[in-house]
Amino acid sequence: MPFNPLDEQGIPVEDQLRNWSELNVEPYDKREVHPYTRTRVILMNGIEVESVMFSHQFARHTDNLEIKQKLALNRRIDQQQQKAVNGLNPGDQTPLETTIGYEQVAVDLTSWLARHEPDPMLKQALDFALLEDFDHLYRYANLYDLIDGGDAATLTGDLTEITPGRPTIVEHRHPYDDVRGHFETHTVDPLSRMHVMTIIAGEQQTMNFYMNHGSDWVEPVARGLYAEIAMIEEQHVTHYESLLDPLDSWLKSLVFHEYNEVYLYWSMLQNEQDRRIAQIWELHCNMEIGQLQVACDLLRRYEGVEPAEILPPALPDTPVTFEPNKQYVRDVLASQYHLRTDGIQYVALDQLPGDHRYFKVQETVNAGGTPSEMVIDEERRERSVDYRDETDGANPIPELQQLKAS
Amino acid sequence: MAILTPTKDTGASTKTLPTVYAEPGQQVTDDQLRQTLPDIGMNTPFIADYLSAMLTHERCGRHLYRAVEGRTNNPTLREKYGSFGEQTERHVTVLEELIAGLGGNPDYVSPSARAVEAVGTKLVETTFMLDGSLDPMTAEMAMLDAVFLAESADHANWKILAELVDGMPEGATRDAFGRAVEEVEAQEDEHVGWASDMKLRMVKLQAASTTMAQAGAKVEEIVVRIKEWFRE
Repeated sequence: MPFNPLDEQGIPVEDQLRNWSELNVEPYDKREVHPYTRTRVILMNGIEVESVMFSHQFARHTDNLEIKQKLALNRRIDQQQQKAVNGLNPGDQTPLETTIGYEQVAVDLTSWLARHEPDPMLKQALDFALLEDFDHLYRYANLYDLIDGGDAATLTGDLTEITPGRPTIVEHRHPYDDVRGHFETHTVDPLSRMHVMTIIAGEQQTMNFYMNHGSDWVEPVARGLYAEIAMIEEQHVTHYESLLDPLDSWLKSLVFHEYNEVYLYWSMLQNEQDRRIAQIWELHCNMEIGQLQVACDLLRRYEGVEPAEILPPALPDTPVTFEPNKQYVRDVLASQYHLRTDGIQYVALDQLPGDHRYFKVQETVNAGGTPSEMVIDEERRERSVDYRDETDGANPIPELQQLKAS
Repeated sequence: MAILTPTKDTGASTKTLPTVYAEPGQQVTDDQLRQTLPDIGMNTPFIADYLSAMLTHERCGRHLYRAVEGRTNNPTLREKYGSFGEQTERHVTVLEELIAGLGGNPDYVSPSARAVEAVGTKLVETTFMLDGSLDPMTAEMAMLDAVFLAESADHANWKILAELVDGMPEGATRDAFGRAVEEVEAQEDEHVGWASDMKLRMVKLQAASTTMAQAGAKVEEIVVRIKEWFRE
């Protein structure tokens, strides 16, 4: 039966405030947790952070007291939701282990969104960045082995392959070449809009996490790797946020945010095997319905727009799902490994003229060594071979295949 | 029933530009516009884009009237915002029927329509985004100003369309345009005339009032005074 959040009662926002013990949730056991439960926690934390930061930005652009107060109330609840979700991460899960979870999110979320994306241009945007995040997973997995002696496959559960993608060293572009064109807000498929909003939030949270955790290590190679990949996440946020149509008003954007949150919590609930965590997704889904109603009332009252005019008649049938995407990633890698960007276009590397700004940026940032290469070099020195989890065979790109131990 | 916000579900289409994507099924080209609409000896794609922009302005106008009708404190203004809003919705229908009758898609959103919507969005935002720094009387003026500006542009649109009709060759297409203009133009005259007169009355009323000088006046008291405006 179609699920239309506009027809649901949800929990009134005024009733959503929780006490400290409700926010101080029991973390999952990192040895027992399903890898995709971890990724769901990471994604929904990012979704709540985006919601909070969007709301703060909106509040800074109005002095309408009612709107500011309602934003403040919704935002306070979002903050509580963020604490309840992020608190599921256990204290004995190191930042590097969490990082590997972040990159598993990036690979399997991006792949799933791309596989279900109706707009070919948006699919291309997802595929393009997918290969870069896929490579980050490989680099961090090697760092994990190098400095902690850890086996990243125990975290990913062999559900996501670990092997080079588009190498991080070549991902550093001129900022102009990170900006994409955008969808048109009237013609866009509602699913596409939610895909874009979801991936922005996910990538933004990854950017935030690396911005703050890059200094957690004493090892120079780790600090360097975080700094380097954090800069790519900046590129990815630029890349993805430019896909949004800026024509939408603040209030419409607020409604779209709340609607997407309903869709995502509902999605997480459909796939969650951990009953305790499923209860959190269900609670938050009902809370988001209440928050959506507040946003809809504001849109109706202040812009005269009926929310049903801009929202689909029901949520998509298919929940956003974390699942293996191994063959999909391999296919994209095989076909788009050599892709770069030139302005808003995607082009093959050999189509870039020799004096293109890409090469100047490459030369500048990679002068004096590149941490994402150093970590692999050090790993090979220590262990003879680099760390990989290639469950389905060798890397499809010959030049990325593992070197034999000398 | 008028469509006030075209979406993919309603059949929205657009022109793609280097920075604007649409799925292949939602894309429209100038050639397609040229082939779909009848030849009236004019730049057909431009006319299609202009009609789309006019329609978007009417749609934004309907939203604006809904918004200010719900928020004004004055019964006279509320009544007019309500009735003009309904007429504006009828204008949406008139344009939708005109475009569909010509073989076009009323939910085509042209680049100029996007520019018009950007203005419309900001115009309605002027009626509430700065409310905290506006006293109730100024807020009423801001709402009326938004209506006045919207109606001024609307009036100009229909006047321009009427002149374009004068330049069209005799025939069914000219007749269809003519009927639309005939139904709407007089109401547009009334809308902009009313907004202009009402602005004058509100300015004079406040210029002659002592309320503004009473810095300590309570909001509730000001609202009571606003409710009393225009009582004959």
